[in-house]
Amino acid sequence: MVLEQQLLPYFQWLLYGGNGELGALPKFALVFLGLVMAALVVGYAIAAARHGLLRGGDVTYHTIVDGLREIVDTSPRRIWALARLAIKESLRRRVGVALGVYFLILLFANWCLSTNHQDPARLYLSFVLTATTYLVIGVAVLLSAFSLPGDFKTKTIYTVVTKPVRAGEIILGRIIGFAIVMTVLLALMSVASYVFVVRSLNHSHDVEVDSLEKIVDASGNVTGRSGRTTASAGHFHEFRLDAEGFATTSTVNGHTHEVEAVGDNSFRISGPNGFIRARVPQYGKLRFIDRSGAAKDRGISVGNEWTYRSFIDGNTPATAIWTFDDVGPHVREDYLPLALIVRVFRTHKGVVGRPIQGELRVRNPDTGATSDPFPFDAMDQQVDEYNINRELTTNNGQPIDLYDDLVTKDGRLEVLVKCLERGQYFGFAQADCYIRMPDGSPAASYAKVCVSIWVQAVIVIAVGVTISTVVSGPVALLFAAGFIILGLWRQDFVDIATGKSYGGGPAESVYRILTQANVMVRLEEGVLTTLLVGFDRFFAKPIMWAVAQFLPDFSAFSTVGYAAEGYNVPWDRVFQDVTTCLAYVVGLALIGYFLLRTREVAR
Amino acid sequence: MSDEIVLQTRALTKVYRDFWGRQKVRALKALDLEVYRGEVFGLLGPNGSGKTTTIKLLLGLLFPTEGEALVFGKPASDVGKNERLGYLPEESYLYRFLTAEETLDFYGRLFDMSPTVRNERVDSLIKLVGLERARKRQLQEYSKGMTRRIGLAQALINDPELILLDEPTSGLDPIGTREMKDMILRLKDEGKTIVMCSHLLADVQDVCDRIAILHQGELKELGRVDELLTVADVTQIRARNLTTDCQNEIRDVIARHHGELLAMDNPTTTLEELFLTIVRDSEARPGRRAGVR
Ligand SMILES: Nc1ncnc2c1ncn2[C@@H]1O[C@H](COP(=O)(O)OP(=O)(O)O)[C@@H](O)[C@H]1O
Ligand SMILES: [Mg+2]
Repeated sequence: MVLEQQLLPYFQWLLYGGNGELGALPKFALVFLGLVMAALVVGYAIAAARHGLLRGGDVTYHTIVDGLREIVDTSPRRIWALARLAIKESLRRRVGVALGVYFLILLFANWCLSTNHQDPARLYLSFVLTATTYLVIGVAVLLSAFSLPGDFKTKTIYTVVTKPVRAGEIILGRIIGFAIVMTVLLALMSVASYVFVVRSLNHSHDVEVDSLEKIVDASGNVTGRSGRTTASAGHFHEFRLDAEGFATTSTVNGHTHEVEAVGDNSFRISGPNGFIRARVPQYGKLRFIDRSGAAKDRGISVGNEWTYRSFIDGNTPATAIWTFDDVGPHVREDYLPLALIVRVFRTHKGVVGRPIQGELRVRNPDTGATSDPFPFDAMDQQVDEYNINRELTTNNGQPIDLYDDLVTKDGRLEVLVKCLERGQYFGFAQADCYIRMPDGSPAASYAKVCVSIWVQAVIVIAVGVTISTVVSGPVALLFAAGFIILGLWRQDFVDIATGKSYGGGPAESVYRILTQANVMVRLEEGVLTTLLVGFDRFFAKPIMWAVAQFLPDFSAFSTVGYAAEGYNVPWDRVFQDVTTCLAYVVGLALIGYFLLRTREVAR
Repeated sequence: MSDEIVLQTRALTKVYRDFWGRQKVRALKALDLEVYRGEVFGLLGPNGSGKTTTIKLLLGLLFPTEGEALVFGKPASDVGKNERLGYLPEESYLYRFLTAEETLDFYGRLFDMSPTVRNERVDSLIKLVGLERARKRQLQEYSKGMTRRIGLAQALINDPELILLDEPTSGLDPIGTREMKDMILRLKDEGKTIVMCSHLLADVQDVCDRIAILHQGELKELGRVDELLTVADVTQIRARNLTTDCQNEIRDVIARHHGELLAMDNPTTTLEELFLTIVRDSEARPGRRAGVR
């Protein structure tokens, strides 16, 4: 699971922020104030142009004061009436078709996706969830963008606005109505997807009777039997039955089965377990020691453009060190469950497919007491799970207790990882080693992913409804689509605006494209260059920056990755997303309110 | 009719502009009107004379270019005024996928009515406009007359004090027209103020207390219908049971009171004639108020 930025606890996120960002609430206030200021200036300019300077001021003042008064008059019953209307309208416009399309997609998926894959759950989940996201967002855009313009076109809006309806209620009613329709669609789709994934992945094996062999211990007693299952869904498992005749098979393609001997040669094998998981990681802090033994924040670079992971060289003192807080017997009484993901970078091939050796130690950060190393074999980018037993020995053979001796009083523990082979490298990011807390419920985590899809769709609905107060349906559609696309590339926007990306702003980039100068070439000094850079600096970049301030980061909303890679979606994440969504709905409804109020309905 | 002004326009002017802000049509020119509580006020004018524009300005559907429109003493852009008025648009601008019942229920909710009040209102209005048998049918299946009636019901859902009717009889057959006019008179009896606009002269003559005649956005005539239609220097005599002799000697007969005198009053011209004179006059001398009287 790639976590480029640490997830902040909800209240810290809301009030104080972190990761170089302001708290969400102060940021919302700032953006909101900025928008209000801009709206005031623009509103006054328009009013002044229409009515003259003084009267323009008067009109602006009254619009605002009346507007604020009307917000107080908002009636839930009217909002609900308008929401019901929006629902009926959606039904009349046959939103149900979306479900039909969805089932076609599932059918198609059934054909094309293979269960014979090293992680079929990931394949299936990311496919169905991505399909759901696109379809739901598509429906959200279509419903919201064409609704109000339709009312203007058929003039049905005349009979509505001549009732005591506040403009805000028209906006909110629509947002709520379409959100309800979308919620039902999403619920149906996600339940269908879940059932589809579980059923598609479901398979069972038999025991290959010929493969059974007795396991005999040193004194010649039979302690169990080993064997393998028949092949099914393109794979088979190995297992070792214990004396009571129970076994959990080896993990293949991300799952296991339970085997139970019910007679001498007859067995019962369960369905697959562990396909869909909700791992709950407790992350630590990562630092490095380089090959000369000096402390570093990052390891070395192996030349990847993506600098998420950094590397340690094999067979040198280079070490990756994670410090965990809050470690103790409350995690697990008798062992410490760890997970490690290693990115292996080979400078020579060796034997293809053979894992690279590494070692792992645990250490007390205060006393420096260190356990004997555990060797492990690292396969590239696979989650390896280790259980560190409580009874350990130090490197000179003394027995020590993990929780009593290696964990400090305040619960800190260090995990040290090294690569053992010369000329090979291990790459790590902070999220690559974690303590495995008990798994969450996969279904609940899946539901949380659906909430994140819901959040995106609600924002899209709010955008669509708001913009459709002033433009026609197709234009509103384009606008909402543009909003989503810009939102997906929001980070690039910010990077260009803040000069982080190469090649300059829009004007300079266009010039570079036209003159076929790559992004690194220095432009010749001159009037043209000065003009271009000046335009970018004082016009284009500030606008991009301003737009980026209220664009939602759509790529960051998606939690499909969590479900696909088998991680639990943290509640902090869900609350943050829902809060953001709420902020957008409130902000957009307000904007929509003023747009609708200042628009001549009978134009 | 009382002295209380429910509706007022002051130098109300509307200029339609195109997308670029260029002037397209001067639809209404400095209109001054006052409508009093309890009267039926008619806006009369040929197509395109600015009647609908006036009503839309009064409702706040359009913003005036100059001047102002006051309803219940509040500016037309104030949403609060809508609590007390009803509006029947030119054509039925209703949701075609709703049934009659759902339509009225929807508009009732927009008045924040409680469910009991709402159900009562919906039932009585459906009965009033005679749509009991079609109450569960979608409006898209309705005929023009039925649509008009549900439109009226919709305008009355809140039992309004002031009712604005834009061409209430358009598209109705003679019977429907009659019913609509009776309805207007009944509403008047209930003490409601009604402003209707129409180009159908008979309608206006039958129900209106006062009228304003608009032509090309200008107010041409304003006054009580009975006064406007009075021709002062002519005397009309209607008599019955007159023999041929009597007819020959009618002046003598009347002078000597031999026949039964049924009526002897000032005759009226028809509204139609007045209207046509005004239009003709206005075309000949644009920009002036007609001097027919
Ligand atoms: N939305 C509009 N845009 C431009 N001109 C309009 C618009 N609505 C009406 N008009 C013009 O304004 C004038 C008055 O129209 P209207 O008030 O509808 O007349 P009436 O209702 O008396 O038939 C007409 O010339 C009409 O063409
Ligand atoms: Mg009209």
